[in-house]
Amino acid sequence: MTSNTLIRIRNFVILAFIQVLIFSQVHLFGYATAHIYLIFLLKLPRFTSRNEQLIWAFLFGLVVDIFCNTPGINACAATAMSFARNYILESFTQKGVADDFIPGIHTINLGGYAMYATLCLLLFYSVLFILELFTIRYPLTLLASIVASTLLTLLFTLVIECFTRKR
Amino acid sequence: MQTLLNFFIKHNHWFLFMLLEGIGIMLIVQFNNYQNAKMFTSANSVAGNIYAAITDVSSYFGLKSENDALLQYNKELNQRIALLQAELMQHKDSAMVAALPGKAKGFFYNCATVVNNSINAVDNYITIDKGTADGVDAEMGVFCNEGIVGIIYTASEHYSVVIPLLNSKSSISCRVKGSDNFCTLQWNGSDTRYSFLVDLPRYTQFEKGDTVVTSGFSSIFPGDIPVGTIEKTEESADGMFAQAQVRLFTNFATLKKVYIVGNEGRKEQQELERSIIKK
Repeated sequence: MTSNTLIRIRNFVILAFIQVLIFSQVHLFGYATAHIYLIFLLKLPRFTSRNEQLIWAFLFGLVVDIFCNTPGINACAATAMSFARNYILESFTQKGVADDFIPGIHTINLGGYAMYATLCLLLFYSVLFILELFTIRYPLTLLASIVASTLLTLLFTLVIECFTRKR
Repeated sequence: MQTLLNFFIKHNHWFLFMLLEGIGIMLIVQFNNYQNAKMFTSANSVAGNIYAAITDVSSYFGLKSENDALLQYNKELNQRIALLQAELMQHKDSAMVAALPGKAKGFFYNCATVVNNSINAVDNYITIDKGTADGVDAEMGVFCNEGIVGIIYTASEHYSVVIPLLNSKSSISCRVKGSDNFCTLQWNGSDTRYSFLVDLPRYTQFEKGDTVVTSGFSSIFPGDIPVGTIEKTEESADGMFAQAQVRLFTNFATLKKVYIVGNEGRKEQQELERSIIKK
């Protein structure tokens, strides 16, 4: 348990650094930004305590927020995603499977994992951009941002997933 | 009762969820209203130091063009000094010159390096490596060689966060060179090369290419710092005012060195203005 937590803290720091210093600085076409730190939340084991998941999500969001000067926005969106994650994950789990597994290509196969990640990311970006654009309402910009960012992050999620599979 | 209690215990993560979302929303609201929320911005020392370390490395790229720009700016400043001195010599004996105060209006300057910068959000922010320890504080003006950059939002001991023109909260008092009408410069959140002059009286007529400068009416910027040139003018949505698209001089994407301007008389001016509102 403690070694698990230590590994998670290590992953947290590494992912936060990569996110803040590289991915948050890149905005493709002005719409798409990848939030690869979400992979950490997506890959938490199925039966991780709900409270623990929420706290990880909030802390991760807050750290990214502090660096990007968007206090609260990432934290809110990540917490919301992490709250909904379990319900989404359950719908992609085969009936009767009671194991504690890490969501991935091996466990819920490629299609399932891609759908699970897409739904989670769509939720995350909807909350994120609605909060960010609260005062200025351009429905089309909002929609374009949500879709573009979801696709970009999904791409990274799947690429990273495929690479870790080889090992 | 027991079932109800069991229900709450079973779903205790719902409460945690609501608590965390509550904290998040509080942070969002607080950041928009309360300028001293610096702990949760990149002005805090951990974030600032990390960004400064990265900038230390990346600033070696583009040193040559940076140098050329500085030389050019120096040259222009020297020319202005020469011009002003010549002017002064002409009026050497007049009483006006003798009556000039030793120091100009009370603006003081400082320089800083940009350590973090964003241009793609609706609310962009810039972090610079000077803070209260260097005499930099909230509501001071920031500009660069090319033109105006923005206003300092919050300052910690060694770092400050700037609200640049490219932020929906930014609003700067400007005027068009050759006219005394002042107006407000605001950004609409889309193109980083353009900003908009809003609330222009309809009878004012500006040509494409007219230069926009700071008005000097706000206590933050001295007058006549270049802002941009007018690209086109149009009526506002309600038809009451005119507005103009302004091509900004400052290239925010490549911003590296900036100047900070403070005003010794700002507090006094603000207190005076506030005292009128109170009455």
